[in-house]
Amino acid sequence: MPVIVASIDPVTRIEGHLKVNIEVDAVGGVQQITNVQTVGTLFRGFEKLLEGRDSRDAPIITSRICGVCPTSHAMAAALALDAQAGVNPPTAGRILRNLVHGACFLESHILHFYLLSLPDFIQGPGMPPWTPGWEMDKRVDSTAQDKFLAHYLEAIVLRRRCHEIGALFGGKLPHTPTFIGGGVTAVPAADKIAAFQAGLSEILAFIADRYIPDAERLASLYNDYFLIGRGYGNLLAYGAFELDNAGATKLFGSGRVVNGAGSVQPMAATAITENVTHAWYSDAYNNLNPASGETAMQTPKAGAYSWLKAPRYSGAPYEVGPLARMWVAGDYRNGVSVMDRIRARAYEALKIARAMQSWAAELTPDASTYSTWAAPANATTQGLTEAPRGALGHWTRAAAGRIGQYQIITPTCWNISPRDSAEQLGPLEKALMGTPVADANQPVEVLRVIHSVDPCLDCATHVMKARRRAV
Amino acid sequence: MAITRRSFMKYCGLAAGALGLDSTGLGLLQKALANPLAPSVIWLQGAACAGCSVSLLNRISDAGPATVTEVLTGAINLVYHTTLMTPAGDPAVAELRRVYENGSYVLVLEGGVPTAAGGATCIAHSLHGEETTFQQAVQEMTARALATVCVGTCSSFGGIPASGSNPTSVVGVSQLTGRPTINISGCPANPDWVVWAVVQLLTGTPVDLDSDGRPTALYGTNLAGAVAPATLHDKCPRNRDVNPNAPTAATSFDNCNGRCLLDLGCRGPVVKSRCDGCWNIKAADPTDPPSERWRNWCVGANAPCQGCVEKTFPGPQSFFEFYEG
Repeated sequence: MPVIVASIDPVTRIEGHLKVNIEVDAVGGVQQITNVQTVGTLFRGFEKLLEGRDSRDAPIITSRICGVCPTSHAMAAALALDAQAGVNPPTAGRILRNLVHGACFLESHILHFYLLSLPDFIQGPGMPPWTPGWEMDKRVDSTAQDKFLAHYLEAIVLRRRCHEIGALFGGKLPHTPTFIGGGVTAVPAADKIAAFQAGLSEILAFIADRYIPDAERLASLYNDYFLIGRGYGNLLAYGAFELDNAGATKLFGSGRVVNGAGSVQPMAATAITENVTHAWYSDAYNNLNPASGETAMQTPKAGAYSWLKAPRYSGAPYEVGPLARMWVAGDYRNGVSVMDRIRARAYEALKIARAMQSWAAELTPDASTYSTWAAPANATTQGLTEAPRGALGHWTRAAAGRIGQYQIITPTCWNISPRDSAEQLGPLEKALMGTPVADANQPVEVLRVIHSVDPCLDCATHVMKARRRAV
Repeated sequence: MAITRRSFMKYCGLAAGALGLDSTGLGLLQKALANPLAPSVIWLQGAACAGCSVSLLNRISDAGPATVTEVLTGAINLVYHTTLMTPAGDPAVAELRRVYENGSYVLVLEGGVPTAAGGATCIAHSLHGEETTFQQAVQEMTARALATVCVGTCSSFGGIPASGSNPTSVVGVSQLTGRPTINISGCPANPDWVVWAVVQLLTGTPVDLDSDGRPTALYGTNLAGAVAPATLHDKCPRNRDVNPNAPTAATSFDNCNGRCLLDLGCRGPVVKSRCDGCWNIKAADPTDPPSERWRNWCVGANAPCQGCVEKTFPGPQSFFEFYEG
């Protein structure tokens, strides 16, 4: 039987533009993926358009990289500004940042499970935008189907509620304007704290009574997916949600796990490099740390197939996301697979929502949320945090209060990177290799693996140029 | 999922004020929606962040059909939206092409149009291995659309991807095509304004536009007795000309709560929108205590208005210096 070559473009129910090229062949009697390329198809050049702007604008501009994790970009940029200024936010400023950021995590996780991921497993309503869907491998009986769909509708209300409580201190969402170097502009008025707590209780109940049981129900119906989509088993977290004003302790710590086993290793940002061997950038700037990174386009270039650079840690590919965070924190160590990613994300939502309850209770009404600072003339700093879909870093050099250089490595760059100079596949590519495909015309298994890492191509900054239709 | 066009109508009745519909408008909408040949809606994303789509999901009403899903299932035949739809790859694109060939659709565009490298920095989709750039898709699909709604500042005017050195030569849709668009600007676009625009189109109601292609009903409302459309500053409760009891203006973020933010960069004096108290609202019974009535906006959280609904957004000037306009 000939090898089947197929492209899925667009991959839908993600944020942004993603194309996946696959080759499917029978190996040992099982039809499966034997080759794969993951390709982002949008380049906006945020790093370049930031150059020359006032440094203080970075949280506002970088928020617009992504409408699903804008607050994470605002957070990373604000942390880099804090470091530039040599200040820490006061306690209430730190807590309000965490509450708005946490609300956006909950929004993203609920959105991901119900709206983006679930349609790979259940039958949606027989009308657009749920048709024409693939009818492969649906294992949900009509009772469970009705329950999932009812919760899908509830999820839309609850994810909206997440943005509503976040906006109490974020002004508006997506794209909060309140994150600034030194803290936030909002102050915790007593009535807003109460409103936040009321909404959070509602969301917490949904996570505990709907989201977690639904994730477990899905896991029992599709338990073969604990053996699909493992990838390298290398997990990386920068850490997030500062528990003290200097950020010495966090709800999620930083660390690494190698091949899904052993003790958690330390993580040092200096060991991060970006490989461009298979990307359309000059090899003269290969394997640089982002603090000294360069982006020099080169196209055409032999062997290149993507505009995504390939981030590596000490030369190795790593997966980032809720599973990595929960593993490093010691909260979830069942395994690495499609279903483990889905379950870890659900339990992470519960952990964050409970932490947010205690943070809100720590707030002193009307307490100061901002530490005064002035931009230093020159500084090179970083802001490391986590977005809902994984580790996020901003590296920036400021000169005379203006942005001289800005480099961003998003979680999706880690997860959906291309091959590197050692021909190591990107983490999602690796996870897709060997995935069984029952019907190459309806490769629903491919979508399940892709969706398990919750790709956000809006965050990944680069694009592939391939065959184009003649005008 | 027993959601019907009738339940959407009930929703529109309850939310008629928010939708800007009087009883005549409601009747027209009812008639339009009763028509099984009501136009399909195609939503394409270009140089975008998906923020306007996420914002649409924040569409609210706690009475009747409450959510955007119910708007979609009950009112709008949304055949293509990459973030929401179940189909992927060729089957999805084939359906898009079918609707395009038939014409008579409402086109919603999110994101700017990159024109560098022949549009190659944004591929909209492929069919049978052939790629279509967003630029090509916009040129083609605007030509046969009943109407084109630009959702957000990027598709309206270029927005942030067109700022600074504009690395991918992004332009707004009408700048590219020369064809008229209805611009619902904002970063992101407010979901109520987007639904308002789509409802006007479905009811065949003429929409009066300002010189930037924005509905005057949303962006250019005159206050009673005024000759020019009100700016946010003209309506701001922190403006002492509006509210004599307001405290003195802020000079620093360490003392800005409740104060006018002009010196900290607020662009309110040049911004015409109805942003005040209309973001991420938690709809609730009016008898609820104040803690249950949430009406947010940037200034309400002491953040200077960034002017994100304006053609000049973001501009080269810092968001944190007195805005010279």
